[in-house]
Amino acid sequence: MNRRSFLRGAAGAGLALGAGLPSIGGARPVLADKPNLSHVEARYYVKLPDREIECRLCPRLCRLGDKERGYCGVRENDGGTYYTLVYGKVCSLNVDPIEKKPFFHVLPGTSALSLATAGCNVNCKFCQNWEISQVRPEQVEAYDLSPDAAAERALGADCPAIAYTYSEPTVFFEYMADTAVRARRRGLRSLVVTGGHINPEPLADLLSVVDAVKVDLKGFSQAFYTDYVRGELKPVLETIRAVARSKVWLEIVVLVIPTLNDRMDLIRDMCRWIRDEAGDQVPVHFSRFQPMYLVKNLPPTPVSTLEAARRIALDEGLRFVYVGNIPGHEGENTYCPGCHGAVISRVGYRIGSVRLKKGKCVTCGTPIPGIWA
Amino acid sequence: MARSRVVVIRSGNVWTASGGLDTAVVARMFDRGLVLLAGEGRDPGVAAALFRPDDRVGIKVNTIGGRAISTRPEVALALARRLAGTGIPENNLIIWDRTTRELRDAGYAPATGRSGVRVFGTDTDGVGYGADLVAHLGVGSLFSRILTDLTTASVSLAILKDHGLAGVTAGMKNYFGAIHNPNKYHDAHCDPHVAEVFDAPPVRSRHRLTVLDALVVQFHKGPAYHPQWAGKYGGLVFSLDPVAADAAGWRIVERLREGAGLPTLRDEGRAPEYLATAEKMGLGRADPAAIETVEETVA
Repeated sequence: MNRRSFLRGAAGAGLALGAGLPSIGGARPVLADKPNLSHVEARYYVKLPDREIECRLCPRLCRLGDKERGYCGVRENDGGTYYTLVYGKVCSLNVDPIEKKPFFHVLPGTSALSLATAGCNVNCKFCQNWEISQVRPEQVEAYDLSPDAAAERALGADCPAIAYTYSEPTVFFEYMADTAVRARRRGLRSLVVTGGHINPEPLADLLSVVDAVKVDLKGFSQAFYTDYVRGELKPVLETIRAVARSKVWLEIVVLVIPTLNDRMDLIRDMCRWIRDEAGDQVPVHFSRFQPMYLVKNLPPTPVSTLEAARRIALDEGLRFVYVGNIPGHEGENTYCPGCHGAVISRVGYRIGSVRLKKGKCVTCGTPIPGIWA
Repeated sequence: MARSRVVVIRSGNVWTASGGLDTAVVARMFDRGLVLLAGEGRDPGVAAALFRPDDRVGIKVNTIGGRAISTRPEVALALARRLAGTGIPENNLIIWDRTTRELRDAGYAPATGRSGVRVFGTDTDGVGYGADLVAHLGVGSLFSRILTDLTTASVSLAILKDHGLAGVTAGMKNYFGAIHNPNKYHDAHCDPHVAEVFDAPPVRSRHRLTVLDALVVQFHKGPAYHPQWAGKYGGLVFSLDPVAADAAGWRIVERLREGAGLPTLRDEGRAPEYLATAEKMGLGRADPAAIETVEETVA
């Protein structure tokens, strides 16, 4: 997808862009290398003898010699100092409905300035944004957008929040954290959409400056993470546990892929774990898979599979369970656990009615957890 | 099954008094190496048998290490001249790597004209990576259009180095420079990734010859240049078997390490196991017993 076609796509989605706000998307990495790289010292690494370093940002703990890059492809050892190459180098920038992230319990009906740089610290074979996540930053067109400028752009586009999304924001941690600080000073919220592959120390620091985190829990077996994610399950679970114990709002998305991670016994185990470790109030979204990237030989997830997963989650006591990527499905709505009436109705990314008052169901007064104002 | 032949040509005279390379000696090393690769007495040598006159031959060099520890331009040009001598038009020879900047930093003079040997990177305007993902075994990558569109045959002309993650980087791993996402293939000591990238159709269908620049070998703390662990080995390694060539390169690295009192790569837990994987995949021979090594010194 080139920039022009991306712009057409954004317009076709009916998104209102702020005046002067570019909507840019990751060009497919057929581009020649066009370096627009930052040279900002990275956080969370240690210097080792002989100009080597060890990155401590994510569980990979990449140990790198001079001139080598981490698995993410966006952090480089230069002479024994580790640098982020993507600080303020935005390759995707859009105004999206907040429901698209998806956050269903955060400021419904509003938009988030959504941004990304290149790079990711895993390599999901079903990645929906591989053109920007699985490339080096030289391979996409990037625009300079400082943290202050990002916050100003959000305000100018009437967005109450900035979302760090599309690729994997962990790999542009420094930029994300600094932007979140600037955004908070301006009254903006920060929303993180992540695979959760991050070490406890940077995660704790991140949680002190952001407002909501959506974790993609891509499966519930290490075998799946090894074969299809190229990552580790345990650190992701630790991340979910840490966010749930913080004051930051948490939602979880599970992309259900036919035959790969749709075993209902594992989904039940997952739901029990979420209930016990993160609490029954955490919204869980079961989303439909579409053939993509390196998994093109499987069909889209049957609706019945998503419905079965949702039923299991509700049976296990989770209160807010959704189906995703099935516009118009009743499982997109938020139901009050008290009176079972729909308190927020949705069709795709559009909000129908909101029957909440000060975070409570207008019918029965049951509190509905989330960030509502 | 016949053993795979590896030819190692060394010369103590390859260095000039000023520390440069004597290109005449380099040329003799190529001449002798290619003749021995074909087998003594077989004329005109292996190069003419490997390439057709209408082939467009890519010479993939490794220039990530800058001037100090990259495939040397004098070596690449000597090979290009040798190939041109077999009847391939010079303009159908492309010396290439990821970026033109890296080539320039390593001492190459970029050239994209309609005459002479061409020298440029994948980042050259209008080149870039192919539009379609190649999904092969565990590989999911875009390949340089220099490899897929601009050439019909390929030589891996790699610098031989120790590598902190892979153990050794040589001819097969050199093709990591042909894909858009090499950072995704450095976990697990690059095993099986080196073998799988090599086995991917864009590489395997074109690769004809491996030559390792072992004039200076980084035998420890690679792939970056550390002069205290860079040895003047003064050699070029030739093989039609990509696995055997790299296995021979590994032995050279180990000999230099032993001479410096360093532990083996296996003792350091980073032996290049991808060679055994490549052998299992049928890409060549890694077992020393299956490799015939011919060593010769030229004046």
